[in-house]
Amino acid sequence: MKRIFIKSLARVEGHGGITVKIDGKKVKDVKVQIYEGPRLIEKLVVGKSPEDVLNIVPRICGICTLSHRYAALKGLEKALNIEVPLRTRLTRDLMLIGEIIQSHSLHIFFLSLPDFLGYSSAMDMVDNYGEEVKRGLAMKGFGYRLMEIISARIIHGENPILGGFGAHPSQKVLVEIKESAEKLVSDAEKIVELFASFDYPSYVEYDTTFMALNPPDGKYGFVSNSILISTDEERSVEEYKEVIQERVVPYSFAKRSRYNGEPFTVGAIARINLLGERLSGKAGDYYKKLYSKRWLRNPFFNNLAQAIEVLYCLETIPKLVDKIMGLEEPVVKKPFKDAGTGTGAVEAPRGTLYHYYSMKDGLITDCDIATPTAQNLDDIERCLRTAVGNLLSKGIEDDLELKLEMIARAYDPCISCSAHLVKVETSNNSD
Amino acid sequence: MGKKKIGIYSFSGCSGEQLVILECGAELFNLCDLTEIKSFPMAQSNNEYTLLDIGLLEGSITTERQKRELKEIRSHAKILVAMGICACFGGIQSMKLGEGGWKKRFQKVYGDEDKLFKTMKPLESKPCNAFVKIDYYIPGCPIDKKQFLHSITHVLNGSSPYLYQFSVCTECKWKENDCLLLRGLPCLGPLTRGGCGAACLCYNIPCVGCWGPAEVLNVPSEYRLLIEKGYTTEEIQRKFRKFGGAPMVECLKKIMKQSNYSATKAPRLKGGI
Repeated sequence: MKRIFIKSLARVEGHGGITVKIDGKKVKDVKVQIYEGPRLIEKLVVGKSPEDVLNIVPRICGICTLSHRYAALKGLEKALNIEVPLRTRLTRDLMLIGEIIQSHSLHIFFLSLPDFLGYSSAMDMVDNYGEEVKRGLAMKGFGYRLMEIISARIIHGENPILGGFGAHPSQKVLVEIKESAEKLVSDAEKIVELFASFDYPSYVEYDTTFMALNPPDGKYGFVSNSILISTDEERSVEEYKEVIQERVVPYSFAKRSRYNGEPFTVGAIARINLLGERLSGKAGDYYKKLYSKRWLRNPFFNNLAQAIEVLYCLETIPKLVDKIMGLEEPVVKKPFKDAGTGTGAVEAPRGTLYHYYSMKDGLITDCDIATPTAQNLDDIERCLRTAVGNLLSKGIEDDLELKLEMIARAYDPCISCSAHLVKVETSNNSD
Repeated sequence: MGKKKIGIYSFSGCSGEQLVILECGAELFNLCDLTEIKSFPMAQSNNEYTLLDIGLLEGSITTERQKRELKEIRSHAKILVAMGICACFGGIQSMKLGEGGWKKRFQKVYGDEDKLFKTMKPLESKPCNAFVKIDYYIPGCPIDKKQFLHSITHVLNGSSPYLYQFSVCTECKWKENDCLLLRGLPCLGPLTRGGCGAACLCYNIPCVGCWGPAEVLNVPSEYRLLIEKGYTTEEIQRKFRKFGGAPMVECLKKIMKQSNYSATKAPRLKGGI
């Protein structure tokens, strides 16, 4: 019996480990454990006002802070029948695009690229890949700039509030954002080409189901009230609990999800697989040139999917900014009631994020939050099991730990990181 | 003399502090040149618990395992710095600290923890100084890039960092913003540690207190002011405790004990640290 124990995954967001038990040439067990300590956010918001919720829930994650804020805003505003004006909606879409650029750039350059180039960190890549690191920093910095001007800070900005914004971004900064985005398009193309140049190994390939929000009017995007599933099913976000069936497992503080009893994948790869044909412009050209059936089976293409999404975001910003500048600056919409229930969902960088709230007398009585990584964990386990099985049957046992970590990182898990101590235990005992 | 060894370690939180450090750009590369980074989980592989000149901590302690790790880091580190509101005060996950309902809340989220999680042993969230001695604090939610670079430069050179002792209110005045408290909004600027540049106030958003209690502050005075403005004691307590962590819990207890408190007689909180 051999036990591979990746005590703590590094270069992912959060604390987690992987244990793989191998018996001869067979995989006995694969477990992705999340040690991220429990914070009980869903219960902390009970008894609080909607304004308090908006201060608390973005703190779940330093990377997807605005996705949490946006999903919460949607859920709370649905509960309180607040319909925000178009300019507010478009400005929120713009801030989410900023977060997707920031998060994807962090993942592809700092967490994933060192794997493909054989380094321990992006900092070590500077001497030989200085241009790439600079490009990554500039792209990530631009994403943060966009988040900062709309939310008031690079991380945990409080400007997006119930019914609108404390202050809308000025024409001047909107123009600045538009011009910066246009300048960065050629850099994004280079990123797509870099990630298209890597060989993605086939030992991870397996069939799975994909899920993403289905933006209206046949467009690509990150916000909708409807869930699209690769089985051709479409469900309303209100039904999310039925669709993703969460459960608790004893070895992880992150909950697990199944769709019809089977693991599924969310995130950039799911969005491209489900909605990629809707892409236009340069992102659309790259999609047509690079897309293949392998994307449906191989999670490593998530890196490439993220690179294409960065390009999509940069091409979308100028159009969005023009639309926003053509609209009157609205005032903040106030609620007329103090009770109700509502589910809000957005595509966070890593996949569909759901926030459910129930309110009475102006205070929260119930809350449920389903994060993308929690939804992906079962599929990450299944992919690891497939990969270890395939590698063992081919007699490949070198660098098994690194290969497994690369797979986990490909999904871009966000389980907020601890020390990295890979331990391999081999014993001759039958158990 | 060899390079100073530093290590960044992360507990329960949003990893916001590591993200801010990663966003330091050119200065981050200078820091990499000047030091040997033994741990930086979000940025590099091969992280270790080893002898350190400076240990940097983010996140609060919410499992037995984290408590053991924190004690191990302390035993290896000459200087330990808590970064961010979770490590410094306990963070939002400590807002109900001491209310006795932690077990119930845990069960509502995860079910019966006695059967589950036997190996991981969850705890009610506490700041790092509840278990080990902390030498310096860099507040924030998340920390500010300039304050981090200022602090790490000082500590690397053997001197103490100077961080703002005053509240967000002062920074807000520097920015010449209209006072939101005067407009009747529940702004926590007078109680909250400065350093954020009054970021929210510049967007007409009242301070929510996310940097934690200032070094010297007058909680009873703000309490009375908000009562005068028409807020209920429940609303005020909720706001004060949201980011106030362990020190605010203590302070509110003292205020509640004095039924006829006055701003002058009531105890002054010295930041709790």
